[in-house]
Amino acid sequence: MGHNLSPRERVLNQLMGKPVDRPPCYNGMGNVTTAGIDQLGYRFAELHEDAAKMAAAAATSYKLFGYECAVVPFDFCVEAEALGCTMNTYEDVNHLLYPTIKEKAIHGQPDPAAIAIPEDLVKRGRVPVVAEAIRLLKADIGAEVAIGSYLLGPITLLGQMMDLDKLFRLCFKEPDLVNSILDKLTQVTVTLARHYREAGVDYVCIREMGATTDVLSPKIFRKVIMPHLHKIFAAIDYPAILHICGGTNTVVDQMAGAGASAIAVEKKNDVVKTRETIGSEPLVFGNLDTYDLLVNKKPEDVQQAVLESLDSGVDAVWSGCDIWPTASIENLKAMVDTVRQYGAEKWRRQRG
Amino acid sequence: MVTNSAEQEVLNELRDGVINYDEDSVREAAKKALDLNIAAKQAIFDGLIPGMVEVGRLYEEQEYFVPEILMGADALYAGLDILKPHIEDEDMSIKGTVIMGVVQGDVHDIGKNIVKMMFSVAGFEVHDLGRDVPLEKFVEEQLRTDSEMLCLSAMMTTTMVGMQEIIKKVKDKNPQCKIMIGGAPVSEDLAEKWGADGFAKDADNALKEAIKMIESLRHL
Repeated sequence: MGHNLSPRERVLNQLMGKPVDRPPCYNGMGNVTTAGIDQLGYRFAELHEDAAKMAAAAATSYKLFGYECAVVPFDFCVEAEALGCTMNTYEDVNHLLYPTIKEKAIHGQPDPAAIAIPEDLVKRGRVPVVAEAIRLLKADIGAEVAIGSYLLGPITLLGQMMDLDKLFRLCFKEPDLVNSILDKLTQVTVTLARHYREAGVDYVCIREMGATTDVLSPKIFRKVIMPHLHKIFAAIDYPAILHICGGTNTVVDQMAGAGASAIAVEKKNDVVKTRETIGSEPLVFGNLDTYDLLVNKKPEDVQQAVLESLDSGVDAVWSGCDIWPTASIENLKAMVDTVRQYGAEKWRRQRG
Repeated sequence: MVTNSAEQEVLNELRDGVINYDEDSVREAAKKALDLNIAAKQAIFDGLIPGMVEVGRLYEEQEYFVPEILMGADALYAGLDILKPHIEDEDMSIKGTVIMGVVQGDVHDIGKNIVKMMFSVAGFEVHDLGRDVPLEKFVEEQLRTDSEMLCLSAMMTTTMVGMQEIIKKVKDKNPQCKIMIGGAPVSEDLAEKWGADGFAKDADNALKEAIKMIESLRHL
């Protein structure tokens, strides 16, 4: 490595299998902070529908604590909204809440034939807002840091569109029906991944958080989740990471075989065991606790957790899920600084 | 209660029907129980509930997952629909009042619904506030009903933090109210830090906590 890598080079080189000087410190989920939003004089609820505010807020994590990426959006409703669901941004609530779907698009027994993916999907809902925010971010800090976005995996998206308890029963009782719907939703993930790429993202994180083994069995994972993930990663021609939260040790071999550039896990995944299962080759990102550690604990605790994470065998220090916005800047700086200072030395891959 | 072998067989059928999430066989066994003059309460507590306890155990062992729990609950409800109208009046006394709901920002209510089912079966009066419930609503309802217990659920890290404010407000105004919190991201440490009386880590533990409460009630 003839010159100092920029954060962007570090992130992308690693995702593309090229050598890097140390593990990067970034994520593919929400990482905007209350400190960043306050500094701009914004409220969290007003960021979701305004591309300029979204981009400005997303850039603060790099500017305030040296995070090596910028990620939009900040919620999980973009795709479901584009497919006809209604979002609640909790405009009137004083404390910070992530938007949720208040009106589902599918009622009763879902009919695959009745689910149509709109031709003009990329013009629907807030897809244009996110795409514009990506363009603005790219122009602002895109030369230095990696610009990322995330999309829901098909089963998580279907969970936004219909009642979850019904969906879970169907996964068990009528897997073929569920699969035929997920087949269609796979197109949504792929179409938006391509659209965001055109807008300028460097990488995309596919979040299949509805597929955690806290909820569904490894058998259903194989039958109902994996076929669609395979298709998605085969169809995306730029770095794409698979993230699943919750306990994932029993499906991590399947995750590693999905065709993603890397897999990302949370603290419930025992990375040492993961390495025993999938070996040293696949890139594994993770697995910092996003609330109890980053919000409640002190910088020295964060440093220790980062070192433990590296020692367990992660290749990039990621938060296990969206960073809770009230995390202190001191803690987040401690996270980034620890990776900078000790990353090369503690990186298991480098140590052989 | 003395049980003869025919009765025991029916109780086993109720139990196994729940474990195998077989609604039809539970319905059949429930009718048989009534034909054999087994007390409805006994059929529920010695048949259906042990079945659900086993479902909880299988979930803990990672043999079962959420779909199996939901279908086990469906089977339990199928039996309850038949047995409940036959419960003797003196068995219907209300054990206590519970308010439960999923905190605002969170629309995941499966865990809460399972806990609710167990409390209802145990004879609690349950005020279910549903999901995505504003913080003030919990406080208002607790004060209005003077419930003995308040159960809060959150399935996402992003929403659980609202719990601490609810706990504080309720405890300030009514320190006797017992508060149990649960949901995937919640930990025992957080429960203690936020001043909750009880904690259930996830659907599995919520189920076990609820079962423990039911079982202790049976000895009252």
